[in-house]
Amino acid sequence: MAFFKYNNIKVAGVACAVPKNIILTETYKSLFGDEEVEKFMEMTGVRSSHRTLEHQTCSDLGFRAASELLAHKGVKPEEIGAVIFSSHSPDYRRPATAFVLQYRLGIPKEAVCYDISLGCSSLVVGMQTVASIMNTGDIQKALLFVGDTAGKSVYPEDRSSAMLFGEAGAVMLLEKTDDPKDEINALVRSDGSGYRYMIVPGGGYRNLHASEDVVMCEDGNPRTLMNSFIQGTSVFTFTIFDVPHLIKDFFTQTETTPDQYDCFAFHQANLYILKQIAKKTKIDFDRMPITLDRYGNTSGASAIVSLCDKYGNSNENKTIKVMACGFGIGISLGATSFEINTADILPIFEDDTIFEDGLITDPNQLYEKK
Amino acid sequence: MEKLLEILKGIRPDVDFANETALIDDGILDSFDVVSIISELDDEYDVQIRINELDPENFNSAEAIWKMVQELKK
Repeated sequence: MAFFKYNNIKVAGVACAVPKNIILTETYKSLFGDEEVEKFMEMTGVRSSHRTLEHQTCSDLGFRAASELLAHKGVKPEEIGAVIFSSHSPDYRRPATAFVLQYRLGIPKEAVCYDISLGCSSLVVGMQTVASIMNTGDIQKALLFVGDTAGKSVYPEDRSSAMLFGEAGAVMLLEKTDDPKDEINALVRSDGSGYRYMIVPGGGYRNLHASEDVVMCEDGNPRTLMNSFIQGTSVFTFTIFDVPHLIKDFFTQTETTPDQYDCFAFHQANLYILKQIAKKTKIDFDRMPITLDRYGNTSGASAIVSLCDKYGNSNENKTIKVMACGFGIGISLGATSFEINTADILPIFEDDTIFEDGLITDPNQLYEKK
Repeated sequence: MEKLLEILKGIRPDVDFANETALIDDGILDSFDVVSIISELDDEYDVQIRINELDPENFNSAEAIWKMVQELKK
């Protein structure tokens, strides 16, 4: 049982950014037909999503979010002791994107930086990781980056995924405190037997130069080996059974009940799944903010996107108890709980800025003296 | 069985579950319908049908679904 409890660590703030480009789901009607798109919108709740430009990355969005959050909190980059980028959408195959963000934000060399390769569960597992390194080290403040640009790996005519994903980058600032009441709990589970359920099979080191020929797959969708494959039925059954089980166990472990939480910031997988989870766990669906309709499934960023959407423009200054839950590719799933002041939840920023220095299109750029 | 028919009607009111015998083979139910049925069966009968146990033939008719539920409850 991977249950974690950390005292004297708090979530000091969250922020996120999305690209400016909005795709309306109904525009897919010309590709997939009216009936299919209407049914998709009804079931998933996705009516529009934001998509990145060709060379815009999740870290570009995270950079904007972090810049805003540090300014809002009055935290200087030199105070940050850890930068963790938890995502499946790195800037490069290597090095880790955390180093790029460290450099761009001016975070000192004394900081620990690395990436965690996770998708929809990246917030929950990332929080567990960051809280653990803070708990055992001398780091006072840390930045956790989450999010994905999942749409980039979807074959455009793949009806199982093309309409589902939105893109976003989010950041969480964690701080050590003197107050033992500041508490973060985390329950994490993994099921590697489902590694094929959501996968990009090519481009990794098992098949580095995979064919990019388009193949009509058995589910009726065209894809290449470099595209995302999602076995929807498998994923559905996992979420419907295993996620509610995890949440119930989390309540047991933390000796809490659903009515003790102000907000359930859950991964925005799709509307049907969220309703099923709420029903099976007796969570009040009205306390589960939904952003699928405007932002789509934004992978690991989605819980923060939903928090920012609900509280980011509120003028309230109150502490809320949040339960976050993430689940997906891996298969990986987890839940956390924490408190946060609504004044430290920033509104959603829209940004199309690209880190131009990071775009290497000619190898000799790497030899230029800066 | 009556309760099962009621559940199935709730998911797809347009389908004649009492008489159809090729719900999957004829493409009457899609994967989303099957998932919805699996979720409802869990709620009503406390049976969890995992993907590796998911035999499409068990979803071809209400009677087949009912038989599967009875087997899983044993």
